[in-house]
Amino acid sequence: MRLAVESVSYSYSGPEGERKARRARARSGARAEAVGASAEARRADWGNDPQDIWALRDVSFSIREGEFFGIAGHTGSGKSTLLQIMNGLIRPTEGRVTFDGLDLSSKHDAARAREEIGLVFQYPEHQLFANTVYDDVAFGPRSRKMDAAEVDRRVREGLRLVGLPFDEVAERSPFSLSGGQQRRVAIAGVLAMEPAVLILDEPMAGIDPGARDEFLGLLESLHDSGRTIVMVSHSMEDLARLCERILILSEGRIFALGAPDEVFADPAALKAVGLGVPAAQALAVKLRQAGFKLDRPLYDMSSLAEDIAAQVGREAAGVIPQTMLGAEAGERHE
Amino acid sequence: MGADPAFVDFQHASFSYDGASFVFQDLNLSVPQGQFLCILGDNGSGKSTLAKHVDALLKPTEGSVFVFGANTKEPEQLFFIRSNAGFVFQNPDDQIVATLIENEVAFGPENLGVENPELRERVQDSIQEVGLQGFQLHETHALSGGQKQRVCIAGALAMEPALLVLDEATAMLDPRGRSGLMRLIGQLHESGMTIIMITHFMDEAAQADRVVVLDAGTIRMDGTPDDVLSRASELQELSLEAPFACQLSVKLQELGVPVPVCITQDELEEQLCALL
Amino acid sequence: MNERAIIGQYWPEDSFVHHMDPRVKCILSIAVMVIILCAGNAASLAVAAAFVILFYAASRIPLAQAVRAVGPLLVIVILTAVLNILFVQGGTVYFQFGIICVSEDGLISAAFIGCRLLLLLLAMSLLTLTTTTLDITAAFERLISPLARIGVPAHELSMILGLALRFLPQFMQELSVISRAQKSRGATLTMNPFKGGFSTMASLIVPLFASAFRHADTLSAAMEARCYHGGVGTTRLNPLRTSWRDGVGSVVVALMAACVVIMNCII
Repeated sequence: MRLAVESVSYSYSGPEGERKARRARARSGARAEAVGASAEARRADWGNDPQDIWALRDVSFSIREGEFFGIAGHTGSGKSTLLQIMNGLIRPTEGRVTFDGLDLSSKHDAARAREEIGLVFQYPEHQLFANTVYDDVAFGPRSRKMDAAEVDRRVREGLRLVGLPFDEVAERSPFSLSGGQQRRVAIAGVLAMEPAVLILDEPMAGIDPGARDEFLGLLESLHDSGRTIVMVSHSMEDLARLCERILILSEGRIFALGAPDEVFADPAALKAVGLGVPAAQALAVKLRQAGFKLDRPLYDMSSLAEDIAAQVGREAAGVIPQTMLGAEAGERHE
Repeated sequence: MGADPAFVDFQHASFSYDGASFVFQDLNLSVPQGQFLCILGDNGSGKSTLAKHVDALLKPTEGSVFVFGANTKEPEQLFFIRSNAGFVFQNPDDQIVATLIENEVAFGPENLGVENPELRERVQDSIQEVGLQGFQLHETHALSGGQKQRVCIAGALAMEPALLVLDEATAMLDPRGRSGLMRLIGQLHESGMTIIMITHFMDEAAQADRVVVLDAGTIRMDGTPDDVLSRASELQELSLEAPFACQLSVKLQELGVPVPVCITQDELEEQLCALL
Repeated sequence: MNERAIIGQYWPEDSFVHHMDPRVKCILSIAVMVIILCAGNAASLAVAAAFVILFYAASRIPLAQAVRAVGPLLVIVILTAVLNILFVQGGTVYFQFGIICVSEDGLISAAFIGCRLLLLLLAMSLLTLTTTTLDITAAFERLISPLARIGVPAHELSMILGLALRFLPQFMQELSVISRAQKSRGATLTMNPFKGGFSTMASLIVPLFASAFRHADTLSAAMEARCYHGGVGTTRLNPLRTSWRDGVGSVVVALMAACVVIMNCII
């Protein structure tokens, strides 16, 4: 048990969040009251709502070493807050987060744990700033006063991990690279701190379809090389494909936590909290209700195609005599 | 709008930012009134550049683009074209100019010189149409992404355009915001608005009347969604992913299941149930 | 990240002052501040204070909120008062320790200057408490529009002011995300130039500017697409209109000026 979140709650009315809540109120609440807007109208955006001060409520789970852990939830479910609590950027109002015995509520421990827990924000390429890719990736290690040789080693390793050729990109300006490459550079900048746990907030956002597979492969390879990965994503396909366990957040509470097949077993329940299930799984559940015999707990495209073909493929293809087909069909109807 | 039946007409249009390499060359595309056209393409296919031509934000280097029969190259036509064509960009944060929603929505008609009380009516109606009634005096900054994008659409609607261009307007939204926005776009289309939508989401393209696939500035496919989206292998070549239902039905065919290629899941489900 | 402190926070209310024309309010606020500065003695300052309290009553803003609005600036009031105590000498000496000497004149001067400053701040924040930033922008445009004849781009200036106000909270938010992101990749954010302060600055400022340029590019296209063409021939959703309230307001401020001048003269 490396990273444990123990009954964490986060409130905008806590000491850390009070300022935030005041700003939120200033932004949306005050005006709405002025015109006597309806309660629904005032509820501009969950998390910005002054009435809804709890961003997280009593969230407990732990992440195992080497796990690929997924987090999903619609906008405002508390995901971003949770990620930042997990690497000590913000402190929970109640409960605590521990990492290998370090308690992240202590400022000193949080700073140390942050070196082990790298957080990649959404659109990380927007945080690039240096003249060269090299300097940008080296920013973290240099801030930690590492010597030049160590910095060099880490930069090379970081770029290698994200699949960028060092010799070609190191001296180029990060801004001259394509969007996808820029994101890789930004991730390399976090990897240069050699974190044991890598937390990624929507790493696939804005990646164009042609590059998706390659990028998912990158995440897979980072996991295969021994890192613990925590990923937030809107794509249930990606989560089902990569994650060992998935946490579903809704309104700041844990809605579901388990292996993909457990979490995606009930599409209707997930729909109620504004989420879907992978397309293959959704279709499988519908077909099962229609009378198909589909036994696997979680389907992807090829397994679904196989199981459907096993039931309606052969006979309908016309290779089986009409009489046999009739008999088989009759059997099934019983 | 003259005798020209086409709302938007690209005639041998070419465009280049630098005069050397062309984003698209000798492109012909005509969009009749009332059509819901979806333009698909990978990054760098030139689809956003093409969209900007429709609102005369860019002008073709060679050839011409006619919008409502007016040539976009003629400066005196710009006001006419832009006042009748709404444009929504990808990132709502880049296009919102005002602090309060009602002022944001009023920005377009204010520029058109629409006077009160019509101005106020238009603002109210547009805000209502996108489902944000009661939010008039909210600050744009505090809204969610989906809500912001609705505000942007309301801003375009308040100009009472005949044509709405959406340049990857759903790309930055979460699934809930995206499906809400697609419903809204469907409603607008039903009420008679011509819609040109740039996207790389296949499920969105399935809703359109017509799908055009752009690759490196050339039109590679053009037809109904049923026709275009079912050509899975061709789409794959163009770095696009066919919709799930289409991929699955192709796979089922390979395994000997006699289903037609379907582009929506409901359709495929129906076909399969009929086989059972 | 208290972005509101700079421009004062709007306090929504349905009051006499809120319904005044922002242009008139701008001019009257300036007038009131000049009057306060002209108050030369305790009596005239007391009269001015009475008027300021009257204004707040008319705007239905709770006094606590008024004080909160000037909160961060109270430091200046206190600092000025303390400096006065220390440097103005004369009259009875109440307390002496080394070079620190608290005298009668010092206390009187501190109280007077402190009160005057406080009144000034209250008068200033009354404008921002009762007027939305948008109305202030509109008023600004109208007030400087005569200058357009001598070539000052009045409309453009107010558009810039409006856009700045619109993007201010967004940039504050982006900056906070950028700083957290840099922190999470190991940066020790410091402003100390000997400990990598320059690098820290660059890591925050460069992404912020990159983002601003990204916004600016699309923003200009988006404004063009919505037929933005400068101020000529545009209309306004909320046109500015003067009403009887503005007349009453002006008369009250004139009365305040007269009272203060009289108090200055007779005492």
